[in-house]
Amino acid sequence: MKFFKLENNDELQANLFSFAIHLALFLVMIFSVGWQTKIPYYGEVEIWDSVPVQKKINKTQTTPKKKIKQQKKTTKVQKSNEAKAKAQKEADIKLKKKKAAEKKAKKLKKQKAIKDLKKKVLKQEKLDKLKKEMLEKEKVERLQQQVIEQQKIEKMQAELRENELKQQKKPALEGENEVKGGVNTGELNKYKLLIQQKIQQNVNQQLCGLDYINLEFRISLMPTGELLGQPKMTKSSKIKSCDDAVERAIIQSQPLPLPKDSGLFSKLKNLELKFHPNGVE
Amino acid sequence: MNKFLQIIFAGFIFFSSSVLHALEVIEILGGKASQIPIAVMPFKSFGAQKAIGKINSVIKSDLSRSGLFYALDTRGVVAAPNSDKEVNFSQWKSLEAQFLIIGRIDFLKKEKVKVSWSLIDVYKKQTVLSGEYVGKEKQIRAIGHKVSDKVYERLTGSKGVFHTKIAFVEKYNNQKYKLNIADYDGYNITSLLDSKMPIISPKWSPDGKKIAYVSFEKEKPVIYIQEIATGKRKLLANFKGNNSAPAWSPDGKRLAIVLTYSTNSQIYLINADGSDVKRLIRSRSITTEPSWSPDGKEIYYTSNQGGGPQIYKFNLESSEVSRVTFEGKYNLYPSLSYDGKLLIYLTQDQGNFKVALQNLQSNQVLKLTKGPLDEAPVFAPNGHMVLFVYKDYGKTTKIGTVSINGLKIDPLPLGSRQVQEPAWGPIKN
Repeated sequence: MKFFKLENNDELQANLFSFAIHLALFLVMIFSVGWQTKIPYYGEVEIWDSVPVQKKINKTQTTPKKKIKQQKKTTKVQKSNEAKAKAQKEADIKLKKKKAAEKKAKKLKKQKAIKDLKKKVLKQEKLDKLKKEMLEKEKVERLQQQVIEQQKIEKMQAELRENELKQQKKPALEGENEVKGGVNTGELNKYKLLIQQKIQQNVNQQLCGLDYINLEFRISLMPTGELLGQPKMTKSSKIKSCDDAVERAIIQSQPLPLPKDSGLFSKLKNLELKFHPNGVE
Repeated sequence: MNKFLQIIFAGFIFFSSSVLHALEVIEILGGKASQIPIAVMPFKSFGAQKAIGKINSVIKSDLSRSGLFYALDTRGVVAAPNSDKEVNFSQWKSLEAQFLIIGRIDFLKKEKVKVSWSLIDVYKKQTVLSGEYVGKEKQIRAIGHKVSDKVYERLTGSKGVFHTKIAFVEKYNNQKYKLNIADYDGYNITSLLDSKMPIISPKWSPDGKKIAYVSFEKEKPVIYIQEIATGKRKLLANFKGNNSAPAWSPDGKRLAIVLTYSTNSQIYLINADGSDVKRLIRSRSITTEPSWSPDGKEIYYTSNQGGGPQIYKFNLESSEVSRVTFEGKYNLYPSLSYDGKLLIYLTQDQGNFKVALQNLQSNQVLKLTKGPLDEAPVFAPNGHMVLFVYKDYGKTTKIGTVSINGLKIDPLPLGSRQVQEPAWGPIKN
């Protein structure tokens, strides 16, 4: 009993489990399954209704030896003639065959040539296609490049415009729609921008050379937007045709857009216009 | 007392600055490339009624060809006034005319005419320029061109080129060649040279008295200089190989020419009397089609040194070479404006040959024409127009002008003549 005396239940459980497993393995060894890797052979069997009868040999076909000899003699001559004819025939056939072979070879050659040509054409077509594709690609790339450049220019122009607007709108941005001395600065700047746009459309910059020049005019306006008197040049561009062209642009822009509010109008009735026909450096 | 004055002065400054500050300022950047609307009325005839051609048509065609003017059609719209006092300004304003040209022709004795004209500013309601020319009846077109020149200069600030001459080569009977001279608009053609061999590259001397050109009459290209008035000519360059592409220096004392003397095409300098030939640029690549800057310090040329043809410039003082064109893979045939600020050349753009204009200050490029087969662009002496050859596939070539704002392309009325190689003569004072 001492043998089974165990210190705790866990040990007992472990031992029982081990015993059970060993027993199970022993049983498996005895009653093991016969695993097969070979597929069993099944023979095929023909089923006959009746046994087939063997054919009898025809006796009349057997000829006497003499007859055979005679026959042999005659057939010899025939045979030699036949051989000749046969040789001729064979030669003919050979020739025919040769001719046919030649024809066939020619045909094959022709076919091969056509095939080659087709291949060549295909190759050329492929090359052309590739070339075309490359050209197309190049064209697209060039177009893309142009578009990119155009976009760059447009972006630069937009930035310039934005800067211009910012400069003009500065007071408005600092206090949008702020009322200063009874005047709405946002409204004031809106009309300044409208006036600027209308005059700018009429400045014919071609008459101002290529250099960065500037010129200034002062104008007085009636509430209708018409000029009160002629524009007064306060700074010349030193290019007569340019001074004249800018003056004409101002006159041409009448009536200028003006607010109906008399307070706002009084701010805009006298204006100083600074022109940079070829932009600023 | 002194302090009192100072206070008053300071007060005055403060006051005036606050008044100035009160004036609203509007900054106007840029503008548009527009055309000046102008009405050119028929000139009234006095003293005789002869058909000598319509002078107002000449002026109209001149001004619109420049691309800076838009000649209004006034037929049957308003009766021609005799002076600015008779002008109904509001009527002209409603027609959007900014200027008005009126005039009269007086028939004098000995088949002479007096042409009087006025340029009226419709906005300012006054005559801004007027003049009088006396000439022969058959010079009526020339008088018209002179009026155009005056009007052009007054309104654009640049000299007009309507009284200048051009030269071009005409191929006829399929094998013969003529070197022709004509008015800038293709009228009054006279022939300077008749040859069985090709003539190319005519170039006017800066004084407009001579023409240098390349002839194949020695069975290879050689360069001649011919006097226009006398027809006398002399052989300038007949060196080993080809002699081609003459270009006069601005002072007319030297020419840049292209020789294949030692290797491939290279630019050489030669005195106008044929002396002192020296090689200008030492390059392994082809250097050709020289064109002088107006200050005579630089020569622009075409070279393949970077692969495809591009335009380069060579500084005669520092011998420095720099590339000028970067847009596109194929740029050639450079020509500079009289002030050296603009460059025109031929560019290949998507398979089409077009005339390109490059601003040498900003390097912006504008394609003036659409192609497909434009050739040989040359500047007008005021730089406002370009003379060039153009044709469509399988059609005859034409010579035409294009304004540098690209707004006006006009063929010269040369009919079915086969024309090529144009050159624009200088403005004669």
